[in-house]
Parts: sequence; structure tokens; C-alpha cells
Amino acid sequence: MALISGPDTARSSSPGRRGVVGPGVRYGLSRLLSAVGTFIFVILFNFFLFRLLPGDPISLYTRGRDVDPEIKRQLQARFNAPISEQFFAYIKNPFVPELPSQRFSAPVWDVIGPRIWPTLLLVGTATVLATVFGVWLGIRSAWKRGRRFDKVATTVTLVLYSMPEFWFGMILLIVFSVGVFGIPGIFPVGGLSTPGVDIGTLAGMADIAWHLALPVFTLTVIYLAEYSLVMRASLIDEMGADYLRTARAKGLREADVRRRHAVPNALLPTTTLIFLNLGFVVGGAITIEYVFSVAGLGSLTVLALRGPDIPLLQTLFLLFSAAVIVANLVADLLYARLDPRVRT
Amino acid sequence: MAYRPARLVTVILFVLGLLLPAGVPAGAAPAKSVFTVGVTQDVDSLNPFVGVTAAAYEIFQMVYPTLTEYGAKDFSIQPGLAESWTESPDKTFWTYKIRPGLKWSDGVPLTAKDAAYTFNRIINGTFEKVNYGSYVGNITKAEAPDDTTLILRVDKPSPIMEKLAVYILPEHVYSTIDETAIQSFKDEPTDGKPVVGAGPYLTAERQVGQFTRMVANPDFYRGKPAVDEVVFKFYANPDALGQALRKGEIDYADGMEANVFDSLADVPNIKRLSAVYSGFNELAFNTGAATVDNKPIGDGNPLLKDKRLREAIGWSIDRKALVEKVLGGHGSVGSTLIPPMYADWHLSPPNEVSYDPDKARALLDAAGYPVGPNGIRQDATGAPLKFRLFGRSDKAASKKAVEFIKNYLADIGVETTVTLIAEDALTEKIGQGEYDMFEWGWVVEPDPDYQLSTFTCDKRSYEDGGSIVANLSDSFYCNPEYDALFTAQSTETDPAKHIEIVKQMQQILYDDWPYAITYYYDNLVAYRSDRFEGFIPQPAPDGSYLFQYGTWTYENLKPVQAADSGQASSGSSPAMIGGIVAAVALLGGLTMLLLRRRRTAGADDRE
Amino acid sequence: MTSVSTRSIVWARRRRSWKQLGDQFWRSRTGMLGLAIFVTFAALALAAPMLFDSSQLDVTKATGGVYESPTARYWLGTDDAGRNVLALVVWGARISLLVGLCATVLSMFIGTAVGIASGHFRGLIGGILDRLIDWFLVIPFLPLAIVLATVLGKSLLNIIIVIGVTSWPATARLIRAQTLSVEGRPYLERAKALGAGDLHQMTRHVLPNVMPLVLANTTLAVSISILSETTLSFLGLGDPTAVSWGTILDDAFSTGAISAGAWWYLAAPGVCVVLVVLAFNLVGRALEDILDPREAAQ
Repeated sequence: MALISGPDTARSSSPGRRGVVGPGVRYGLSRLLSAVGTFIFVILFNFFLFRLLPGDPISLYTRGRDVDPEIKRQLQARFNAPISEQFFAYIKNPFVPELPSQRFSAPVWDVIGPRIWPTLLLVGTATVLATVFGVWLGIRSAWKRGRRFDKVATTVTLVLYSMPEFWFGMILLIVFSVGVFGIPGIFPVGGLSTPGVDIGTLAGMADIAWHLALPVFTLTVIYLAEYSLVMRASLIDEMGADYLRTARAKGLREADVRRRHAVPNALLPTTTLIFLNLGFVVGGAITIEYVFSVAGLGSLTVLALRGPDIPLLQTLFLLFSAAVIVANLVADLLYARLDPRVRT
Repeated sequence: MAYRPARLVTVILFVLGLLLPAGVPAGAAPAKSVFTVGVTQDVDSLNPFVGVTAAAYEIFQMVYPTLTEYGAKDFSIQPGLAESWTESPDKTFWTYKIRPGLKWSDGVPLTAKDAAYTFNRIINGTFEKVNYGSYVGNITKAEAPDDTTLILRVDKPSPIMEKLAVYILPEHVYSTIDETAIQSFKDEPTDGKPVVGAGPYLTAERQVGQFTRMVANPDFYRGKPAVDEVVFKFYANPDALGQALRKGEIDYADGMEANVFDSLADVPNIKRLSAVYSGFNELAFNTGAATVDNKPIGDGNPLLKDKRLREAIGWSIDRKALVEKVLGGHGSVGSTLIPPMYADWHLSPPNEVSYDPDKARALLDAAGYPVGPNGIRQDATGAPLKFRLFGRSDKAASKKAVEFIKNYLADIGVETTVTLIAEDALTEKIGQGEYDMFEWGWVVEPDPDYQLSTFTCDKRSYEDGGSIVANLSDSFYCNPEYDALFTAQSTETDPAKHIEIVKQMQQILYDDWPYAITYYYDNLVAYRSDRFEGFIPQPAPDGSYLFQYGTWTYENLKPVQAADSGQASSGSSPAMIGGIVAAVALLGGLTMLLLRRRRTAGADDRE
Repeated sequence: MTSVSTRSIVWARRRRSWKQLGDQFWRSRTGMLGLAIFVTFAALALAAPMLFDSSQLDVTKATGGVYESPTARYWLGTDDAGRNVLALVVWGARISLLVGLCATVLSMFIGTAVGIASGHFRGLIGGILDRLIDWFLVIPFLPLAIVLATVLGKSLLNIIIVIGVTSWPATARLIRAQTLSVEGRPYLERAKALGAGDLHQMTRHVLPNVMPLVLANTTLAVSISILSETTLSFLGLGDPTAVSWGTILDDAFSTGAISAGAWWYLAAPGVCVVLVVLAFNLVGRALEDILDPREAAQ
């Protein structure tokens, strides 16, 4: 969740000699290196963190089943190997843990694989919608600053921003899926689709859309609150800038000032802040998938933490971190394309 | 770009036009009957060597046959794949007559050779023993001299030979999967064809974390089931399960949570059943954790080795209140190991305890644990009676139960510190002997052998390669007299004598108090009475309809009316319309957005 | 004649600017509203033992029926064990607020220290701290918190640690930016020329100038901490024996409150969370409005 503040000027790359490679490419490379560095840090963190886990991981795996001593012995051998050996085995492919998922008794990626698209669908749709509506609302509020529209919009978004998203989802469930106080509950209680419906067909896709309507709505509204507040603050900042004063003095109409200069320039820090808060998006996915029983990565994380199913949890953590790192890298590069000031 | 409302509207109409024909409900499609079951624990694996959840076992028994089956009325043994069976006069082998003329669903004949292959695979394998090792413990070899004869050679007489819950697998499928591949084999349908099986239903589709769909097997030897498909749908939380039943998303909800169950009380067309079940919960004691070599392990409080102390605790628990408050009344007071659902095996102890804190206090006084200065009892050396009590954080019922138990014990001067941890973490602590008391439960099979084995000296933790490895025992009870009886019952083939020995064993456990069994809980189910009929309880009259030891309900179920209400795509028609509504709303919103921006800009421009 | 030292002048000036801050805040309607809401909840939390005996939290001593809707006797109805929901919510305020405040203190402490240090020290140390902040900033909060909570175990202290350890980077980044701007001011160069050491510079010069922003940031950080605690408890990672708004929501969700139509059990803790978080957000925004010169110009 963002703290509402302006863009961070300290993020600019350090000045250097102009070399053969142009500034844009140099910036891109430096951001890429930075992203790789972060990823390495996450990998190391992941490895050592789970070694801290107290207790005998083997009994976690065999879980009171009548497992053959021979199998137990094989597992012990794997676990009692020296740390450096374990580390190298891990580094070879950090994304695939040695052990299968305990809860599902299957290789971790077999469990994770089919759950990726529901999460992408849910979160992607919500983010796109929230960005469109949130930015629009932010701009509108900033335009009409101080007037009733702004006051109402800001109040509503502030309240939404203070709300736990899963609570909002539960309230929507009770009102629109169960039906209280006379409102009929028409939406499904959860899940992704009706069994037996072929999701490849148009009818199947409409079925999924119907099931995802409430969760997408919940996430959209919550994300939108933050984006709108950020956009509003950004735009208000921008509208007071000196160069716009000059533009106005030169006779440019207010509407044009806003549309052609202020908004595009205000979009930049907004984009940065939005991408910086992708962690927030991931968090929302986890709790909302849990509340609405959507079979995606988020609800899988909740199932994994109940065990705890260590191999699964480890891999999910890596996956989420990697996704956010990549998204931030993309944001950095996009930002650089759009704002030449950053590259030099 | 100029403002073109007409263009936008045309696009919207075009998209709608595309969607509408797809939205026409499939009236032309043949009406299919689909029985949807809601569960709160998903199938973990369809591989019969890997899966352990209730849903997984349910599917195994629907797809694969077993030699014998448990009858619906009273668990009596009935012919399954085997029409008849005999023990050899010298008791060294059993002969089973396999039904002739059977086929697997892909047309390959189902013969005794498949059965022999399955048993030999388990006997000779390591991984395969995980789920079925306890059945083949005494079997040395399986042979199939011809297509309808199966011979199982044993090294000891064994009553379990009549109740081998081993799923017979198709040799032509499984022989291509070797010892390593079997561990990751999914046994899921490929190429759009159902899994090869011979039971009433076959697995046709699986969406992990969502549902598993089974289709009726037309070649099932007792006749093709009347219901075309059975779907097991997974719900992550109990509310969603209850709501799904109300809205008709599912036809049957199993393992419901008490509050949700109660909230369905007066709903029309929904019938509920608080089914008697084979499960019990207990307060378990660390009676002296040690390995099979009698080497002490862990840090259990040694005071609990005193049987009189454990007995006093047994008298101090108000089991009726636990059933009322924790189970919402859906259960019965607990006593001995084998639940009363197994009427033949269950022992009603002549010396059954009741809720009597005064008696408990008297017992403790007599045993030499006077009340200390701060109200907590202590032993002769002044050590206080203070114990660690573990509850399971992921089960609401366990959380509640330990709160009550803590209070009951405090009432008689025994102090406890309650810690709630995850079940996996608790398993680990138990294996290492690092506990005093905990609250958990078991589900007992029709054959008591497995349950009884958990109290034998052999099933305690053992040492391997320098570390302690857990086994089945979670009380570390070890009594040579009990072990002797256990060996006797595992080779006693006379049913009456067998029952007698088992009852003796239960009495011993009841008197020695490794467990204080708190209650037998019911399995709460609810179902739509207007959709399907033909539910068969096991045992009669008020046992569960599904998730039994057998597939009786599935073979007997039929839809209530022939003209079923659009079961073809249950819920897909409103879903279709709903999807279109959602899409239109979306498009409408975006359109309005774009239109308004243009309009506002226009107004400003005109300034 | 009173001796006037440099230090007393400095403190007088600082006192005046704090007083100015206070006056401006007093005039901010939204800020005062937020403060009022917080004070109400804090008062309720402190008064909890006097308002409701702690036995009302004990499942074994529950007096009401299961999921009774609100009546004169139970203003917010009862939960699935028959306990008084109003008592639960008021007692829950204690844990939620306590965890929120403690976790914030921890996160602010780490964040401010790291932020000032990384802004002040150029070279290797500054570079490492910079990187550290950036790395932690990118890791998504909830998966990290879940992983940490799993490793550490479920207790109140651990939840405070988890939230504190996962929230400091945002603060650090902000403080670092502020530090950099403060460091550029001439008087600090003069102090350095006069021989002021690193610690002296950081604590005597940078910190006081950064404090107002730290304050605004703290209030916003509290709102994040409370939301985090609620989320973690809802997922089942909180202390199972403690009653907080998050654990109440977890109970409600897992014992079928939605099916039973027990809206009061769901609504009450949620509304409390929204109000308290909103309160801190309002206060924080008001402070930011006052302190940020760009805002003041509009």
C-alpha cells in the first residue's frame, strides 16, 4: 500500500561519463542488473529462510502414514547432506524444489501450473479496470478540486482505501450471493466455472466471467481507490508547476493545459507508484481468491500455509517475487522511455 | 479523431450479436443426469498408490474393483470381484473364484491375472506399500493359474484375507509404469478418454482444486448406473458449501460444519442427516515416550506414567457438554476404541466413567497428589501437576475442545498450558515424544486391525541413522499382554473368537487410559430431496450415504423426475446470461467513460 | 541577564514550529475527525476490562445462544459459541491497536535508522543500504509475511516482528529522500566543517529536520500495520488464543457466519477496522498537507 508521496528523485541513476553506449541503453542495462541483483537476493533469502524452520522436515513429509523405512532412509540422506551440498543442489534450479508438494503428493509445478491462468485473469482484469477507472476518477477529482464531486469522490476512495479487501468481498458475498434484507442472491458463491461446461467455448468463457464478476468487482474497487488517490495527488502537484504557469501566461486555455501537459506528466509518477505497489496487488489476489474459492495461485498459497506445505510455499514465494521484480523492471524501462530526464 | 457515436454503438451491437446465439441454452443437447457432490477436502491424487484423502478413496472404489465388499446394512462381507473364496485346509493359502467374462472399460478382459499382478506389485514394491502394506503383511505371493482363479499364499493364518481393501488395477495399464514413474503418475484422463477402470464410474475429467468428473461405466457388471455423471466439487470453506447446496449448484454436501448444517434446518427441498460415523476424538497422553528399543525420548512429564492420574482426568471431563458445545449436539459420548457404529465390535464397558469431578479429586487425593498452596496439585516431591496440552489450530472444533478440557482439568487442580499448532507440526512433536497431552481423533476402518496396531509396542518411534523416526503410536503405550492379544487376533479366523479378543483388548485400553476418548462425532450431510433418490445408508438405518466402504448409493441412485430441469448444463444458462450481462455492463461503462470525456472536452473547448 | 545559548535558541525555534504544526492541525477538520475517532477507540480499548469482564471471551462460559441476532441484551448479537460480539469487538480493539502500534514503532525505528544512514553515508555502506532498501521494497508484502510467519510460528510477538520487518522499506525510502535533501543544506556543511561526527550530524541535525515527515509517515504506517495484522490474522497466522478483529473475521468465515446470515458478526469487526484505519489515514494526510510546501501553495 502506498504512502501518498511524490516521485522519489533519489531513484535516478548515478551520473557517469558519456561512453560509446547511449544513455538510454545504459539505463536499461543498469535497471536490468538491478533486477537480477534483487532476484539473486530473493533466491538466497528463500533458501536460508526455510532452513531456519525448526523440526524434522521428513516427518512433515510422511505425515503419520505407514511409510516404508527404506523411503524414510532415502529422505534422510537427502536432508542430512551438508549445507553447501544442499545449497548447490538448490541453486541448480531454485524454482523446482527437491521434494514434491506434501499436501498434493505431486511435483510442485504440477500443482502450480494449472492455477496460473485463473490468477492472471482475475488480477489482470481487475488491474486494468482499476487503472482505467482510477486514473479517470483521479483526474476528474483533481480538475474539480474542492468542489462537491471531488469531496465525495475523495471521501469514498479514502474509505475504500481503508477497507480490508477480503472484508469487502465477504460483505458483497453476503449481500449479492446469499441475499440479505430482501436482496436476492444471484451471483455464484465461488469457484471459477460450473463443472461440465467446456471452458474453451464462448459459453464456457461467459460462465467464467459470471463466476469472476464479484471477485473482479471487489478487487477493482479496492485497487481503484488507491490509484485514484495517487493520480489526484500527482495531478495536483503537477498543475502547480512553474512551467505550466508560463504556459498559462502565454494564453493557453486551462483545458489544454490540463490535457496536453499536466495529465501526461502526472501519469509518469502515477505509473511508477502503481508498479511499486504491485505487492499490494498480489496480496489482494491471495485473500480474494481465498474468500471466493477461485482456484488460482492465491488460494493455493492459503492452502499451502495451512500445512505448512514447505516446498509449495517456497516456490510460490519465489514466483510472486519474480513476477513483481519483472513488472518493476518493465515499469522502469517504460518510465525511461517516456521521461528522458531519468536516463541521463 | 472525431467523435463517432454511431461507430461505437455498431461495434457493441455486433459483439452482442456474436454472443447471443452462443447464449441460447442447449435445448438440442440430450438431457444428462449429473449428481454433484460438494466436498471440503479435494482429491489429493487420483493415483491409487498416492491419494489419501476421503474423496480420493471414494473415487478409487468407484473406478477399481476389490475382491470383496462390505455390505450396506451391517458391513457383512459380500462378494465383489471374487464370487467366492476359501481358505486351504492347512491355512497356507486362500483361493478366490473371480467372476468370469468381465472387461475393463477399454475392452481388455478383466481376469484373475490383473488381481495377481496388483498383489504381487504391492508385495514386491516399496512405494506401493505405503497405502496397502497393512493388508499384504502376511501374504507372500499371488498366483493366477487361470483367468478365474486367484491364489494368495500366506505365511500365517489371517482374518484379513476376507477384507482385502486392495484396488485391483489393470495390468495392461500399470505394467507400463515402473517403480519410479508410479510415484508421479497422475492416473488422470488423457486424450479426452476416461481412465481405464471396471467400477460403476470412471474418471473423465479433473480440474485440480475445482472438481473431478466421473462418467457412468456401461460395462459395470452389476449394471450401468442410472445417473450419467457424478461430479465431486471442491469448496474451500464451509459457508460456500452450504450456499452452493441452497442455490442448487450441488446436490449433496458432505462433511458439513455444524453451524452451516443447522442453518439448513427449515429449507424446503433440502434434507439433512446427522449420520453415525466411524470416527472418534480423544485426549491422548504421553504414557512414557520411548523407541521400540525402549530408549526414552522426548520430554514428556513423567507424572503421566501414573495410570491413576490419567484415570482421574478421565473422570473429570464432561463429555456430554463437549458433544453439546463443540459438536452442536451432533455426536455421542465417547468410551471405547471401536465406535458404536460397528455394532459387532464395539464394547460397552461395564465400568464406564461419567462426569464426576468429585470422584476425580478423590482419586487424585488417594493416589498421593494433594492440593498445593496455590490450588494446583503436586506430587510427593512437590512437583506441580502442570502439563502441556496441544490443540490443532486448523480445526475449529479442536480449538474449542481444548478450551473446555483446560477448564475441566483446572477444576480438579491440574494446570495445563494450551498451545495451538498445525497438525503437521503436532505429528512431528508426537513422533519425538515432545508433548504431554494433545487432542486429536481417528477414523476407524471396518476391520479393527489397523486401529488396534497403533497401541502395540512395535508401532512406537524408532531410531534410524541417528535420528528418531515417527511411527503410528501416538501414546507410546506398550503392554506385553496387549501385544499378545494383538498377535492372537491378527491370526484368528473364527469371527466370534476374533470379536471376543478385540473386545478384551478394548477393555484393557479402557482400563489403562492411554487415551481418554471424548466423543464419537457424526458426519453431517445434507442433500436436495427433489433431485435424486435412492440413497442407501451404511450401516442401516442412519449411517452415511456417501463416502462409505462401498459404492451402494452410486449404484442405486436415480433422478427424481425423468424430465429433469435442464440438468444438462446445471447453472450454465443463468451463467450464460449472467456472463453477457457482465460483458455488456463492462462495455457500457467504458463507453460512457469515453463519451463523457469527449463531451466534457467539447464543453471546455467552446469556452 | 539570562544567558542565551545556541542550544536554547534552537530548542525555542523547534518548539515554535511544533506549536505551529499543532495549531494548523487543530484547524484541519479532517485531521481532527481522524484524531477523534482514534481517541474514541483507544479509550474503548483501555476501558475494555471495566466494560466487559474477560470471562465473556471464554468459550466455556458463553451465555448466549448460537448466532443470535442483535437484541437489547446483546447489542451486536452473539458468535458461534454464544459469546457477546460487542465484548469480543471491544477486547479485540486492544490486540489490533497494540499490534498495530508496536509493529509501527518497530518498522519506523528500523526504517528511520536505515533511511538516515543510507542517505548520510555515501560510498560502500550507503550503497549497500540503498540496495537493501530497494530489494526489500520489491518483494511483495503478503507472501513475505506469510513465509516469515510460517517460519517464526504463531504468536503476538511474532506477528509484530513480521509486520515490522516487512514494512520498514517504504519508510526508509522516504526518509532517505528527505535525508538527501536535508544533507544538502548549508548549515550542515558548516557543522561538518566544525568537526561534527557522523552520529552527531545524524541525530542532532538530520533527525530533527526529518521528524515532522516521520510523524506524518508514522500515522500512515499505523494504518498499514493494522490492515496487515487483520489480514494475517484472517488467514490464520495470528495468535490463535488472542482475540483481535482479524481473528474474529477468521472465526466468522470458517464457522459459517455467511450461511447463517450472521451479518453482525462479520460487519462489526470490519467496520471497526475501517474506522480506525481511516482515522489514521485522515490524520496522516492532514499532517502531510501541512508539512508539504507544494500542497500549501495550492
